Amino acid sequence: MSRIFERISTAVLEGDDEESASLVHKALDKGETAADILNEGLLVGMSEVGVRFKAGDMFVPEVLMSADAMQAGMRILRPLLVAGGVKLIGKVMLGTVEGDLHDIGKNLVGMMCEGVGFEVIDIGFDVSPADFVAAVKEHQPDIVGMSAMLTTTMRAMGHTIKALTEAGLRDKVKVIVGGAPVDAAFAKKIEADGYGSNAPAGSDLAKELVGAA
Amino acid sequence: MSDILETISTAVIEGDVDEMVDLTEDALDEGLSAQEILDNGLMAGMDYVGVEFKAGNMFVPEVLRSAKAMQTAMDILKPLLVESGAPMVGKVLLATVKGDLHDIGKNLVGMMCEGAGFEVKDIGKDIEPEAFVAAVKEFEPDVVGMSALLTTTMRMMGHTIKALEEAGLRDRVKVMIGGAPVTQAFADEIGADGYASNAATAADLAKTFVSAA
Amino acid sequence: MRTNYVINSGVRFSMFSQDQLEEMFWGVLHLLEYTGLDVMHDEAREILKGAGAWVEGKRVRLPSYLVKKSLQMAPRSFTLFARDGNPKHNIKIGPGRAHFGPGPTCTHFIDPETMERRPYTKADVPLVAKMVDALPNIDFCESLGTVGDVHYDLGALYEFAGMFPNTSKPIVAWSYDKFDSAGIHEIAVAEAGGQEAFEHRPNYVHYCEPLSPLVSTFEAIDKLIFAARHRIPLIFTPCPIAGGTAPITGAGIITQGAAESWMGLTLAQALQPGLPFFMGGVYSVMDMNTMILAYGAPELPLFMAGLTELAHYAGLPLWQTGGCTDSKTFDGQAMIEGSMSVFFSALTGGDLCHDVGYTESAMTGSLFQLCAMDEAIGYARRITRGIEVTDETLAVDVIKAVGPNGHYLKQPQTRKLFKTEFWYPNLIDRQDFESWDMSGRLTMKDRTIARVRDILATHRPSAVKPETHKVIEKVLEEAEDRVKDKK
Repeated sequence: MSRIFERISTAVLEGDDEESASLVHKALDKGETAADILNEGLLVGMSEVGVRFKAGDMFVPEVLMSADAMQAGMRILRPLLVAGGVKLIGKVMLGTVEGDLHDIGKNLVGMMCEGVGFEVIDIGFDVSPADFVAAVKEHQPDIVGMSAMLTTTMRAMGHTIKALTEAGLRDKVKVIVGGAPVDAAFAKKIEADGYGSNAPAGSDLAKELVGAA
Repeated sequence: MSDILETISTAVIEGDVDEMVDLTEDALDEGLSAQEILDNGLMAGMDYVGVEFKAGNMFVPEVLRSAKAMQTAMDILKPLLVESGAPMVGKVLLATVKGDLHDIGKNLVGMMCEGAGFEVKDIGKDIEPEAFVAAVKEFEPDVVGMSALLTTTMRMMGHTIKALEEAGLRDRVKVMIGGAPVTQAFADEIGADGYASNAATAADLAKTFVSAA
Repeated sequence: MRTNYVINSGVRFSMFSQDQLEEMFWGVLHLLEYTGLDVMHDEAREILKGAGAWVEGKRVRLPSYLVKKSLQMAPRSFTLFARDGNPKHNIKIGPGRAHFGPGPTCTHFIDPETMERRPYTKADVPLVAKMVDALPNIDFCESLGTVGDVHYDLGALYEFAGMFPNTSKPIVAWSYDKFDSAGIHEIAVAEAGGQEAFEHRPNYVHYCEPLSPLVSTFEAIDKLIFAARHRIPLIFTPCPIAGGTAPITGAGIITQGAAESWMGLTLAQALQPGLPFFMGGVYSVMDMNTMILAYGAPELPLFMAGLTELAHYAGLPLWQTGGCTDSKTFDGQAMIEGSMSVFFSALTGGDLCHDVGYTESAMTGSLFQLCAMDEAIGYARRITRGIEVTDETLAVDVIKAVGPNGHYLKQPQTRKLFKTEFWYPNLIDRQDFESWDMSGRLTMKDRTIARVRDILATHRPSAVKPETHKVIEKVLEEAEDRVKDKK
């Protein structure tokens, strides 16, 4: 592996967004392709971040810094990837359900999903079932991720899935759920396709559901 | 059982020291023998105390008070018992070993042994091996009880047993040991004949020694 | 600039008022002046008499001025040094600093492999020292046991010989007699680089225990004299038992115990002015049913808190007690008793808190209790570190920047402080249920066992000098020679 890829992955691991952006420019100047920089540099760093976070060796603020560093690189690479016709592994759409204003966990899942190579669309918090339906129609994601932090709002996940079913969209997407009060049993009960107990588990689950794991 | 014996045993249990002289004199006036008063009054009471103490229903200050009541009566009965030639169960010599000035536990053992019918000779605390030897020669006990409360002084029990051996007295006595840090394993190691974990079991142990002898 | 601004940065704890402390202080002096103690050591009585004490037979009484002078001579702030020069292992004694370590002389030990209670052996000493060396919140070393598989006069010496090479944290050494003390000192001095170097950088503390009530025993005094003459920092600590060998009241046990310590203080300062001296002890209750000295009773931390305040009022550092239990095993009782006393001890700022890792009322030492209490001490230390109030910590600007329904995870202040503002556990579990379930549903006990075994398998303490090893061998040989004719 080229030294420059190793340095990019280190910049991501250390959460150094300025270094990450400047190294991505440097790699492009050297003639590396956008796809190689993504797969062998940025994504390698983020995958190590996931491993360390799960092992308890990295903490949430550090993971967010790494995700920032990853995004700093992606801002440069994205137009080139699109222009080169390189396909991302899939599209994830995320929202916090109606009545719930918590979005830290959802944001974290978004960053981790971008880190593993998804295109991520974040439709915000306090999103009604009708708005979920409209957004799915518009963005046509592979995966819909719903977040709820409260025992009082988690039932809105069930309402949202019902709305997707009624709109005839349920079969076109995989639905994943997460948040403090949510567990696998609840996911099963409301007929979601999966449950992630934390952000890296969420992105792993998304990969599995698009067959990229 | 006569009323007066029952009253005596109750007075022992309740630690009613002030009543003991009157009660004992009354019993003798009624024509009861010293041996009867001892066996069916005092020792009946102390047996009950031993059982209640082991069960956690009586506390040390109460046991000490009961023992004191027993002793008060014994001061009157002892000369009469000697006169009548009634043999005591046996003789117990007690002391705390050299370097150790703790004697609460040892005193308690003495009282429980008296309660069980032994003649008890307490030679005090901080007793050197040589002084043990001299006391065994003079008093000729059946049982020698040694106490140590400290991990730093318990080794003196070994020294004392050794001194008894060198003086040729080891075979003439049973040696029992006790105290917070002492265990059965330690008793085995230094060649003692037995170990008791509390005052009530010490008296039981002394009884088994003399009945086996 | 602010003026007349009062800062309480840590959690503060105080029990007695100034009036009460004054009353207790003068109560101790009155006791020493009018009742005194029996001092079972001829030379010590002569020295005390020369210093101004009143001596009649074995009874020694101390005029108040002499005790006050002795209190003044003892330092309140000094350092105990790591033998290898590692500054992180030094202990700085001074106001508001609480330190923790195990206790000595348990007859039994929880076997680290089988988890069974068995007699404590020579081979256990290095294990305890290694654990002490590795655990982040354990500051000094004692052995958690009396070595049972050597000649019974040599347990203390083998214990020190086993601890010293296996931790560089300062050691608290006890001994049977002054022969042990001399051997221990020879080892410590060899590593320090001579007596003079040792006096500048003492790497161990000598521990002696007088007897309650009111007796300075020959051995305790004989060892005290040895330590004072060699300028070894000294702990002189009775173990009064309320209701048994001391009054049943808290104020009474503290007054009597302090008098017992201050007799030692007066002798030590007469011999070696300025000698670092810890008063202290284990002050607890005699359970009136089992007759045990209760190590998990609430009265223990309560009495110790009162004693700590009196010691600090008098200007002396304190030998504290905590992290111990009457439980026989690793269970809820052990955790409650150990954690409560550790927290209380940390709140008092008692200078060296010992007996961390005791189970079964000081009869059985446990590395598992020690390891779990390391976690409890970390927890307690985070609380006692308190809340700092400054413009920066008030975070008004940060709150403004984040605004309603934002989050603080990406704030520079969060990134800068998240590792120091929060305490992170080593043993306590905070996973979500699924993760905990997936990782084998491990309990606190499982995790503690794993950590103990991991440390024993992997931790490597710094080595002592090669010549120190030779001195250790020589000292042990000489000691074996000395006792070879005894059984």
